[in-house]
Amino acid sequence: MTLLVADRISKSFGGVRALNNVSFSVAEGEIVGLMGANGAGKTTLFSVIAGHNRPDIGEVSFDGVRINGLKPDRICRAGIARTFQIVRPFRGLTTLENVATAARFGARPAEKLAEANERALLILEEVGLLDVAHQPAAALTLASQKKLEVAKALATAPRLLLLDEVMAGLTPTEVRAMMTMVLEIRERYGLTLLVIEHVMRALMELSRHIVVLHHGEKIAEGSPAEIADNLDVQAAYLGGGPSAAGAAGT
Amino acid sequence: MTAAPTTTAPGVTGTWRFPVATLAAGLFAIAVPQVVGSYYVSVALTLCMWIALTQSWTILSGMAGYISLGHVVFYGLGGYVSVVTWQLLPLWVAIPLAGLAAGLFAAIIGAPVLRVRGPYFVILTFGIAELVKYIVINVEATIAQAGRLMFGTPPVTILFYVMLGLAVGATLLAWSVRRSRLGAGLIAIREDEPAAETIGVPVVRYKTYAYILSAVIPGMVGAVMGLRLTYVEVLQLFNPIISFTIVTMAIIGGSDDARGPVLGAGFLLVLSELLWSSLPQLYMVALGTLLVCFVLFAPNGIVGLLARRGGGRR
Amino acid sequence: MDAFLSGQLLFSALVIGSVYALIGLGLNLVYGTMRLLNIAHGDLMMLGAYTSFWLLSLVGLSPILSLLIAALGASAIGAAAYFGLFRRQIEISGPVEKLEANSLLLFFGLSVVVQNLAALAFTASPRAVPYLDQVFRVGEISMTANRLLTLGVALALCAATVIFLRANIYGLAIKALIQNRDAAKIVGVKVERVQLLSFMLGFGLAGLAGVLLSMTEQISPFMGFPFTIAAFVVIITGGLGNLTGGIIAGFLLGFIEIYGVVLTSQNARSIILYGVFVAILLLRPQGLLGGRRVVR
Repeated sequence: MTLLVADRISKSFGGVRALNNVSFSVAEGEIVGLMGANGAGKTTLFSVIAGHNRPDIGEVSFDGVRINGLKPDRICRAGIARTFQIVRPFRGLTTLENVATAARFGARPAEKLAEANERALLILEEVGLLDVAHQPAAALTLASQKKLEVAKALATAPRLLLLDEVMAGLTPTEVRAMMTMVLEIRERYGLTLLVIEHVMRALMELSRHIVVLHHGEKIAEGSPAEIADNLDVQAAYLGGGPSAAGAAGT
Repeated sequence: MTAAPTTTAPGVTGTWRFPVATLAAGLFAIAVPQVVGSYYVSVALTLCMWIALTQSWTILSGMAGYISLGHVVFYGLGGYVSVVTWQLLPLWVAIPLAGLAAGLFAAIIGAPVLRVRGPYFVILTFGIAELVKYIVINVEATIAQAGRLMFGTPPVTILFYVMLGLAVGATLLAWSVRRSRLGAGLIAIREDEPAAETIGVPVVRYKTYAYILSAVIPGMVGAVMGLRLTYVEVLQLFNPIISFTIVTMAIIGGSDDARGPVLGAGFLLVLSELLWSSLPQLYMVALGTLLVCFVLFAPNGIVGLLARRGGGRR
Repeated sequence: MDAFLSGQLLFSALVIGSVYALIGLGLNLVYGTMRLLNIAHGDLMMLGAYTSFWLLSLVGLSPILSLLIAALGASAIGAAAYFGLFRRQIEISGPVEKLEANSLLLFFGLSVVVQNLAALAFTASPRAVPYLDQVFRVGEISMTANRLLTLGVALALCAATVIFLRANIYGLAIKALIQNRDAAKIVGVKVERVQLLSFMLGFGLAGLAGVLLSMTEQISPFMGFPFTIAAFVVIITGGLGNLTGGIIAGFLLGFIEIYGVVLTSQNARSIILYGVFVAILLLRPQGLLGGRRVVR
């Protein structure tokens, strides 16, 4: 069953085409990777899906319902959660308070504070943040703040989770731990994942299906093996060449 | 550290100790007019006024972090309602009506005003208060009312009781909002508004609620204070010093805890009793200096200082 | 409608507009380089006005000479405020909006202190010592020398500041800081020193504007605030870092105020000023930053 459909999405920022006629869909339970160089439009696509940006043209539907044009909080309550590439913890609150706050909102809001705390503690245990539950979020390491992003998103009880570079800036060991954790939570909560990742190996390993963006356009789509063999992708993204040089710095 | 902490927000003391203590203090204060002379009743009235105003302010500016430097606009509107309707409406109608007027005003201007953030929001609130002040002055001038004489206003004891009720009400309101889902959402908005929206906090609606909740009681406070005057000028009702005092009290006391406004109001009241009548300008200098010092050195106010001394809450 | 088109009104609008342009310019320098909204700007102007007033009434010193003294005094206060209050604030990391709101509270506290110290020292009652106020006529328009002088000096100061920012190395550094703080740091702009300079320059311009006003207007310790508001309107309308735009906006506000009063009544003056202020903030909620913020 198809959970998310993006249909011919275009988005410009003052003359710069960030997304051009991008279509793809995500089936329930799948893990889809989103690949592309810096400025290819990946994060913009996330922002369009999560409601932070409106598409100029095109439609996004979730579970058969059109969601583009809705505010981010409505989309969250519909069951889509996202993390931010540049982490945005509630800096003045503790780790637990961060996650408990998310548990009081989102798709299945906890009625009582105690219930929210209970859910938050469970999630903190799963993502491995229990030992820093009472530390202010601002004091966490980058790896922990990335985990906190995931924990907050999880606490909103999503069906679809958008992960934006949760492994960027982490050490190889931390990347390994993050991958294991992501797969575990996916299993436990029956999540569908849409993943942006710069760590190529991680993306190839996680995803069953990969969508490649280049200059705001979809240039390829397929299984990791197909993508690795795709000449257009190699030219544009992996292998250098004239068009890849043009892609940098957009 | 226990595995089941009872807080989601800084400063929540968990149990019902705080509201019980507030109610007990309120009941105790009912005896004030029997015990002391009318001068101290009016001092107690003033204290209750500042507590009610500052507690209300923290709902918007402490929790959601939208610092209002123009809260006098609600006070002034409420005061104007009670002055205009004096001897036309009974007190128990006029005062709630004043609260309603202030709340309605907040509801109407809330959506556009709360789109403005940070320092722009701060000066915008100030500008709105001044704008409304001059509009009301012009309205009064057009209907040929330079000032209004008030006859037969209620005795100070009655007004004290009303104000005591408002102070207790505002304190309990601030306390319960802070513990509620609304409070958690507002704190999230203060910490990071886009991130709050992303976890499903309906930010526009919540900010508007906070704005309205922080306006209603100041409207009623203004209504009571309007009846304290025998000769009413609009300039007095919309005096920006009131807004400034609210902010200073909240910051000195600490706006992240329902005890803060009480401490801040008490502290400044003592200072004002010492200085205001004899040297009002020196009092204002002291107020300004205190604000600067607390912003620089103790942004969490007296409550924050006490918590630090007591080993911290976290 | 004859009165409406008269040169007389045009002249009045130009004079008040030139003062708005000047105070807007000073505010723009401080805001542009440090993102600090100086709510005490009008109070510096008030101090300049008192400097001129006392020097004229006590020792008979011409306000033209007071210009220099007030500029130096206000710059010194700017330097003191920078070191005493704001340097630390700017260095503390944290959410930008919180820092900005905190700084605004600091400036507000400073403003209250300055106003009330002035009231303690000089009493709160308004004063005036008109200077060069003999009337003469140029064609249809009757004007006074002091207003002509105000217009001339304000224009000259605006021009001098703009030229300074174009031609001088420090001026260029200030402009660089206004346009892109991080890039300016990278190319080696000494941020510390440039910030201090723009504080001094901005405060100094406010002091100068005060001297000019003292020749024509009544002065009081609490006169500054409406001018602060006017300066905010000017820099928001003109655009961040757009100093020329700000100068144009200053004159625009002068025209709106003078013609607005003619069309309605003298009482409406404050309503017009604050009305324009509120309207502009509501229409451009991001203020000077302009553009939309993209959540990434």
